[in-house]
Order: sequence, then structure tokens, then C-alpha cells
Amino acid sequence: MPKKRLLLFIFIIASLSLMTYQSNRGPLIPLKFLNNTLNGFHRIKNSVKDSINLPFRRMLLREEENTRLKAELIRVLKEQQRYQEVIFENKRLRELLSLKEREIRYVTAARILAKGTDQWSNILVIDKGLRDGITKDMVAITHRGLAGKITDVSDSFSSLLLLTGINFSAGARLQESRAEGIISGTGFRKCQLKYIPYEEEVKKGDTVITSGLDSLFPQGIPVGYVSKVNKKDIGLFQDIEILPFVDKAKIEEIVIIKKE
Amino acid sequence: MTYIIWTTIIFLTFIIQGSISIFDVTPNLTVVLAYYAGIRKKEVKGMFFGSLIGIVEDSLSGAFLGPNLLSKGLIGYFSSFVYRGVFIWTPLLGIISISALTLVDSTIIFLLRSIFDRTPVSIGAAVFIVAIQSLLNAPLGILLRPKDAQ
Repeated sequence: MPKKRLLLFIFIIASLSLMTYQSNRGPLIPLKFLNNTLNGFHRIKNSVKDSINLPFRRMLLREEENTRLKAELIRVLKEQQRYQEVIFENKRLRELLSLKEREIRYVTAARILAKGTDQWSNILVIDKGLRDGITKDMVAITHRGLAGKITDVSDSFSSLLLLTGINFSAGARLQESRAEGIISGTGFRKCQLKYIPYEEEVKKGDTVITSGLDSLFPQGIPVGYVSKVNKKDIGLFQDIEILPFVDKAKIEEIVIIKKE
Repeated sequence: MTYIIWTTIIFLTFIIQGSISIFDVTPNLTVVLAYYAGIRKKEVKGMFFGSLIGIVEDSLSGAFLGPNLLSKGLIGYFSSFVYRGVFIWTPLLGIISISALTLVDSTIIFLLRSIFDRTPVSIGAAVFIVAIQSLLNAPLGILLRPKDAQ
């Protein structure tokens, strides 16, 4: 066997052995320290991006202002647009503040720094860590509802597993009928509500909240609404698809609360 | 100097990869580096370089080590064969080969994660993700060419 092929063969066997070992003993993450460096760069990138975007955004707003000054009525509209971003931000922050006041388990508020490095994990990186009181398994919410849970914490950063992630699951119930089940991620945009008995009447649009029975997520956090109900001809449970209230593409800030 | 440039490129690739998404799909840019290493540095160096990128990506993803390590290593090894022997580099062949290798890479990662850990997404979503990642990488096939290409 030529040397190159032998090397390839050894490489494949070594990789497969490594994965087999980890599937039995748990994951090895020897280069975990690189995460902090990368997240630090994400933070720099975000501040550079903000400082570059800001003048352009202002220029754009001024140009719009000049064109719309022709008519008094349209000027009012332009002013509205100019401050819209600030109004939205203000609204978001006010909602976060009200969450803080309302939520007795409040730990801290955090910004999303980056998405995880790969598509499959459904992980977001946030700019707060151990120093801010965050620990593993804490719950992340927004004013819309449940966002996910903390899976990994370093001094200044944390990883947030989104509720759409395949490894996510939580005790949940339908708000109206109070039927209990388990919500888990599908890895993409939607979640699945499992173990709802076949005879239970579930309607499209029904709201799903956390049940608190998993001793992790506090009771009553809105999760999403029923987008599809599939009653199979056979079987004990229904196949229910849930669309989360929190859209992962639009999350900018989150609030971390203590677990149940 | 070459190593510093490569390290910077790898680092930038990870930052870009973690910052953008199209239709909720994160692009698979690291496979482009493994592919490029393969077509420029031949199979053994390509495999070594690919596996190095893969192990870093595995570590950064927070999951278990191996899927990216193996897939990127294989891409680094096999991409060197594309333009040796039968094929001569053309922009179209560049597009086809990088799309095909991205498809292979993402499929290997999906299968390995499904076998050794848990199925990360449903089959339908995986097909969608892999297709989008292949399409996103396709234009890069025009830019990345082997040393001896005209």
C-alpha cells in the first residue's frame, strides 16, 4: 500500500476511534480556550461594524430628509423614520427593563455577540459570563418569551442553546387546555410538542408555555404557538409543531434568569 | 510568514462564518480552505491542513471532536485529485468541484453527528442546509485555482 494511502487509512481509523471514544465517555474539547479569543474578536468586529455603520446610517437619514422636505406632511413621516430605530431600541430596552422589574429571578441582561461557528449546534454567543453571575443551565428569555438555556460559561462569554436546538427540551403545557407535554427543538426553525395525548383537542394558534415540572425552567414563560397538528391514525400521542415566539434571527438582547 | 497569513485567514473565516447566515443557514467557509489547501499543497499536506481546520472548528462548536476533523481532512486529501490526471481547471469545473465537495463535507458531518451523537436536524432540513451551503460556496470555485492553471 502506498505511503499516502496508508496515512489516509490511519487518519480515518484514528478519527473514527476518537468519535467512538467520545460517544461513550463524553466530548473532549482541547481547544476550548480558542473560544474566548474568537469571541473577543467578535466583540471588536461588532464595535467596528457599529462605528462604520453609524455615519452611513446618518447619511442615509439626511438624504431621505432632503427629499422629503418638499412636502410638510411627508416631513413628518421622514422624522418618524429617522427616529424609528431609536424608538424601537427604546422600546426593546424598556421591555427588557420591565422584564427585570417583573422577574424576581433576574440575573443580568446580555447582548448577542455572534452565532455559533457551525450550523448544526443552534448556539448563540452572549457577552456576559461568570463575572456577571451567569452559570450553566440558567434560562434565557426575551420580552416575547423563552429563548433557550445557557450551556457553557467562561469568564466573559456564555453559549446559549436556542430552544430550536436538537439538544433542547423543556416541560411545557398548552395554556388553554393545560395539557402537559415536552417541547424539544428540531434543529431548524420550529419545535415539537411531544406526549400530548391523542384525545386532547389541540387547535392551531394555541399558546404553549413552560410547565415548570422539569425543575429547570420557571413556570409560565411563553414558548410559542401551535402551527400544525398532525393526528395520526394510530398511536397514543399527537404530532404537534410549535413556532417559537422568539425568532432566532431577530434576537439582539436577552435577559438571563435563574433556573427553577 | 505563510503560516501567519494562513492563521489570519483561518481566524477571519471563523469570524465571518459566525457572523452571517442566509435563510437561517450558516455558510460552510472552512471547507473552502481545506479544498484550497488540497489543490495547492497536494494530498498529504491538504489532509493535514484540513484536519487542523476541522479540529479547531469542532472545538469551537462545543460539540464532540471528530466530524469536522475527519470531513475536512478527507476534503483536503481528495480535492488534490480533482485537477490531476483527467481534469483541467476551468471556472465551470471549479464551481462544480467546490459545490460537490461542500456537499460531501456537510453530508459527512451530518452523518457522523447522527451516528456518534444525535441527529442534529431532520433529513429535510439537512438537505436544505447542505444545498444552500453548496450554492453559497459555488462562486468561490472561480477564484480558487491550482498552481498550474492558466
